Amino acid sequence: MKYEKVLHKNLETPGYTGSLADYERQGGYQAIRKALKEYAPTQLIDLVKRSGLRGRGGAGFPAGTKWDFLPKDPALTRYLCCNADESEPGTFKDRELIERDPHQLIEGMILAAYAIGAKVAYIYIRGEFVYGAQVLERALAEANRAGYLGKKILKSGTDIEIYLHRGAGAYICGEETALLESIEGKRGLPRNKPPFPAIHGLYGKPTVINNVETLSNLPHIVNRGVEWFTSIGSPPKSPGMRIFSVSGHVNRPGNYEVPMGITLRELIHEQAGGVLGNKKIKAIIPGGASAAFLTESSLDVKMDFESIAQVGSMLGSGGVTVMDEDTCMVSAALNLMEFFAHETCGKCSPCREGSSWLVQMMRRIEHGHGRMEDLDQLVRICNNIGGKTVCAFGDAEIAPILSTLKHWRSEYEYHIKEKKCLVGNRGGQLLTIGKH
Amino acid sequence: MADTDTVKLKTETVKLTIDGREVEVPKGTLVIEAARKLGIEIPFFCYHQKLKSDGNCRMCLVAVEKMPKLQVSCSVPVSEGMVVHANTTVVQEARKGVLDFLLANHPLDCPICDEGGRCPLQDYSQKYTAYGQFKEEKRIYEKEFFSPLIEKEMNRCIQCMRCVRYCDEVIDSKALSSVNRGYHIEIGHYGEKQLECEFCGGCVQICPVGALLNRLPLYEYRPWMLTRTETTCAYCADGCSLRLESRPQTREVIEVTSFWGNETKTVWGKGRNEGDLCAKGYFGYQFVNSPNRLTKPLVRKDGRRDGPLVEASWEEALERVAEEFGRIKGLHGGEAFGALASARCTNENLYVFQKFIRLVLGSPNVDSSVRYGMVNAARALTELTGTPRWLPSYEDITQADLVFVIGTDITHSNPIVGLKVKAAAKKGAKLIVGSPLRPRISTLSHIVNLATRHLAHRPGAERIVVIGMVKAVLEQGKAAAGLAEHPSIARLRETVSKLSQKQIESATGLSYDAIRAAAEEWTAASRAVIVFGESIVRARDGYETVRILGDLALLTGKLTAEGCGLAPLYEENNEMGAYEMGVVPDRLPGLGRLDHEPDRERVQRAWKEPIPTGPGLTMIEMLAAAREGRIRALYLMGENPVGTLPASAGAAEALESAEFVVSQDLFLTETGEKADVVLPAASFAEQNGTFTNQEGRVQPVRKAIEPIHGTRPDWEILSQIAVEMGHPLEYQDGAEVSHEIARLWPACRPGGPGWREIPGRSEPAVAAERYRAERLTEGISERYRIDSGEKVPASSNGRFHLAMGPLLFHSGKMSLQADGLMKIQNRPFLYMAPEDAERFGVGEGQSVRLRSARGPGSVEVAVKIDAKYPPGMVFFPESFNEPPVKDLLTVELDKASHVPVFKTAEVVIEKIT
Ligand SMILES: Cc1cc2nc3c(=O)[nH]c(=O)nc-3n(C[C@H](O)[C@H](O)[C@H](O)COP(=O)(O)O)c2cc1C
Ligand code: SF4
Ligand code: SF4
Ligand code: SF4
Ligand code: FES
Repeated sequence: MKYEKVLHKNLETPGYTGSLADYERQGGYQAIRKALKEYAPTQLIDLVKRSGLRGRGGAGFPAGTKWDFLPKDPALTRYLCCNADESEPGTFKDRELIERDPHQLIEGMILAAYAIGAKVAYIYIRGEFVYGAQVLERALAEANRAGYLGKKILKSGTDIEIYLHRGAGAYICGEETALLESIEGKRGLPRNKPPFPAIHGLYGKPTVINNVETLSNLPHIVNRGVEWFTSIGSPPKSPGMRIFSVSGHVNRPGNYEVPMGITLRELIHEQAGGVLGNKKIKAIIPGGASAAFLTESSLDVKMDFESIAQVGSMLGSGGVTVMDEDTCMVSAALNLMEFFAHETCGKCSPCREGSSWLVQMMRRIEHGHGRMEDLDQLVRICNNIGGKTVCAFGDAEIAPILSTLKHWRSEYEYHIKEKKCLVGNRGGQLLTIGKH
Repeated sequence: MADTDTVKLKTETVKLTIDGREVEVPKGTLVIEAARKLGIEIPFFCYHQKLKSDGNCRMCLVAVEKMPKLQVSCSVPVSEGMVVHANTTVVQEARKGVLDFLLANHPLDCPICDEGGRCPLQDYSQKYTAYGQFKEEKRIYEKEFFSPLIEKEMNRCIQCMRCVRYCDEVIDSKALSSVNRGYHIEIGHYGEKQLECEFCGGCVQICPVGALLNRLPLYEYRPWMLTRTETTCAYCADGCSLRLESRPQTREVIEVTSFWGNETKTVWGKGRNEGDLCAKGYFGYQFVNSPNRLTKPLVRKDGRRDGPLVEASWEEALERVAEEFGRIKGLHGGEAFGALASARCTNENLYVFQKFIRLVLGSPNVDSSVRYGMVNAARALTELTGTPRWLPSYEDITQADLVFVIGTDITHSNPIVGLKVKAAAKKGAKLIVGSPLRPRISTLSHIVNLATRHLAHRPGAERIVVIGMVKAVLEQGKAAAGLAEHPSIARLRETVSKLSQKQIESATGLSYDAIRAAAEEWTAASRAVIVFGESIVRARDGYETVRILGDLALLTGKLTAEGCGLAPLYEENNEMGAYEMGVVPDRLPGLGRLDHEPDRERVQRAWKEPIPTGPGLTMIEMLAAAREGRIRALYLMGENPVGTLPASAGAAEALESAEFVVSQDLFLTETGEKADVVLPAASFAEQNGTFTNQEGRVQPVRKAIEPIHGTRPDWEILSQIAVEMGHPLEYQDGAEVSHEIARLWPACRPGGPGWREIPGRSEPAVAAERYRAERLTEGISERYRIDSGEKVPASSNGRFHLAMGPLLFHSGKMSLQADGLMKIQNRPFLYMAPEDAERFGVGEGQSVRLRSARGPGSVEVAVKIDAKYPPGMVFFPESFNEPPVKDLLTVELDKASHVPVFKTAEVVIEKIT
């Protein structure tokens, strides 16, 4: 099925360059005019609350509710931070929004900043997004010149400044409190919560952190209204469009903006053109590397927050990775575990020590040095990490192992017993490498 | 009482349930502390009462009803009705899990780890039996050299970051950091080659495992083999409580610790220092077991003055002293004796000393190292408030809303009070710092960096700065209610109004506006303390300057008000004690005045003997009298005037002129070398007694080891000489001396707090009122004068302001005998601004020639570049006599207090070509 594009509308318009002129030509920056005129900040918060917009960064927290947590004392300085650190393996939707339609994001940020009363906002952009940073710098300059940003924007009484802050290549800085530490110039280490950023955020001040895609939705909600927004997607809990980054063994990997609630099957087979070489699907990660693997029996699950949660995974960052029947699940889990073991910030002991412990065991198993008792041990280590860490990274890193062990335990056992892969191009090959 | 009650009413409390038991605690209390209150143990590693919670080790997880996940009890504050489960199976499993992780990469090297036996990782591993199923390869950090004093063994590190947090949050040294990420995190430093920091030892002590260790006693002991003695530090007057960990069998002090509580270092120290120490306290203990300690008396061979000093038996030495003292007393009377004591000695030793001098020798000439400056403040404070003790306490500094620090480089002079000031600043107090030093970034903390207002005045202009503030307060009509009408205040206003703003500006180098702004902040504050030190107390016009500070406080209602007042800092540990024990010619033990008949009568009654009336001579007068032959014998207990005073003071000549000189000391000093008899004394670690810190807290000194073979406590030596002289002052032990002192003067009981317990003393407020009415105008024009020459040379003509003063790592000459401190710094430098170094074309470590601008002589000295010194100012640490920079100085005698002023000079610096 073809769907009306919303966030992708401009960037899929032929000839659209993302410049201010192009954006304005497409009707850009009307939402802030409207909001400044028609809504007091609290009304705007209320509007977003009623829209049911949920965060697109990972946790899916309702945006309006998050904003409403800020203390009401008008004397307090507040900050808005846009999380553009997008580093989740398999997720690349924010990058496209930034590079191809930066003003949509900036307009969204202006709306959010206006609603929460932030005079200063930051965009924390992943260090590797060099081009994205250039695009944003240019767009910010344009918006400043045009009076959308700066003192008394659009001759209203509102001041909003946006600064771009580039990361230095740590995945953990996408975690919202590590992001704040990093902006403050410190090591990017997550903070314990509570206190939540809404109370004690950037420089100790009330702060809202929202994802690029979340913020990019705002101009459309303001322009087209709550009724429209709640009529698309999978209302009442998952309204709106969602951009899924589809990768892996599909014919047309890429970003697809679709209404929330279409099935995985539709996303993979219709949008992304089906599986490479017409092979069977073995596993799907539905929401970025941090989400548990699903089997092909979940293909008819609806891609909305609740439905995915019901089958034991999460919609997360919207990164959908498809693995065909020839994929070795042990090596897939190891691959992700290597990523997590490399990216753990090391602040808390379960994650710091557990990630390398897991990786070493997984390597052993993968390389044919596993022992049967390793499998229970893997589960035990995972359980000692899950729910016991400072940040959600701990829960994320155990998802691949736990879910592959749950669905494909026999592959692990085969590795251990036969010292061979059960499937794939290495299927049947002896795996003993190195000594253990 | 009333105050604490209102405080109690104000703190809201919260009720919660932990493991089925209800507890009520103040709002904001952390769950872990609420549990502790119930006696429920929650294990932890990264949490520490001194530090902000970091919640990283996850050992303290507990279940909290209505919260989805386990919570870190070290970071979650209690809330009303909270229900906590600290010992469910889930919680126990989580603990085991965390231990498993921490042990995964931890080496099994407990048998060679100095922490073994006091290591929470060991203890908890036993208690919560981790599974220990890690079968992979352990992480191995490459061994790297960290510091001569601190051993780093990263394989043992549990990444709790206590060390880094302590160094940042408490010390403000910021010398440590975690480096690398994730699995590879380790602790690193910012030093060029090895750790450069304040060496407070805090990171070593706060490290829960053996990852950071004191290298001085490395591999020397197991903690349970050591005997612990709680005592008081013998270095500075901050008066830190610490523990000597010793091996009594061999009479060795093995190390110092300062955390209290249980073996797992959960509760950080007791004492005025709350467990914090400085380098001297932590690494400076080795003077006790120094091989240079005197262990045999020395006498002149054949009794000839020109003979060499040779070892003698105690009997022989004591007999000689008794004989000579007896002879001189018989021929010339008591007045022929002069006596000086060091304020490092215990109250008991000082008390017996002055009693011996006054009764046995019959001399009024007794003085001590308080003469180097402490008397300036003691005298002024006594006039102002009726007591030399502080009215504010350390807690008042921490809780102040404004602290005014002037005339001290506090990190170096009094580091622990420095921590109190830092704590206040971190809590948001205003911090006005009057100091010629500039802010600078390094891994040594610097109070100027934290100043909310920095009055960067010219070196030596402290007095004028304060005069400026007094003037500003009076001009603004901001004197406290009811004061302005008093004639004495009117007189003061008239006096300062004659001083022009221009004069003040040119003398201080500050804009008058800056002074006025500081005065405004000072006036507006409600809990405000003035902390001042060596550059006032030991400087020119010291006594007057303290009085002016007193005037400023008095005018603004902050002299005696709760939480306010003056807080002078002293260098030596027991200066307050020496003063209070009457080791000054004009005071008797208990602060009575020698020239005040009832005071003398009271002490005479107790002693059952008449006391020589005096007036006695002060230090410099004594030395002059000895040179002139009026004083024939000198008794020096721990005091080393030859090593301390500039050559021009003529101390050496005084000793040479005297007929008989006794030096009683731990070491053979420059003074001892000129003595006729040298008696080896026991150190503070070898006897019981008390020290009184600068606040006026009398604190216990406890015997950790028997006196080093051949040495004796001072009081015992004195008592033995007295017996030999047929005038017994007999005591069974130190405790008997303490009792005698306490009987004479109850305020000298250990633990006695401040002035509130001084019986028979009028309340400070009454004293202050009397001061205002009767004495404020005394000497007012002298006190508030601005000399035309009150200008400091600009460096452009090659002239520099040289300041001699304390260094964090050294104090007096004692620290030079402490190996640990010598490992940090074993030679002096001339500290100089980078601009000046560049101008002279000298690099770090290169030498320049230093000449006095006034007198003869010159020395060569190596330069250290330090941006905190402003151009035109150089600094030399006073502990070092080699090269003899001190001998370039001249001594100026303070007319009021007889303090020999010699810590600054105008010097010329030349490049050595
Ligand atoms: C380890 C970790 C990494 C994360 N990385 C990102 C990221 O790259 N981008 C992002 O938007 N959110 C990321 N998040 C989620 C953020 O913490 C936060 O929930 C989100 O930015 C909030 O925005 P939203 O409510 O608009 O989704 C990450 C979370 C964790 C635990
Ligand atoms: S869970 Fe991992 S990433 Fe998160 S704070 Fe702990 S160590 Fe860092
Ligand atoms: S100053 Fe030095 S000794 Fe003290 S905590 Fe910091 S690094 Fe450790
Ligand atoms: S060195 Fe010690 S205090 Fe520092 S992080 Fe490691 S275990 Fe903790
Ligand atoms: S003690 Fe609570 S997390 Fe370390």
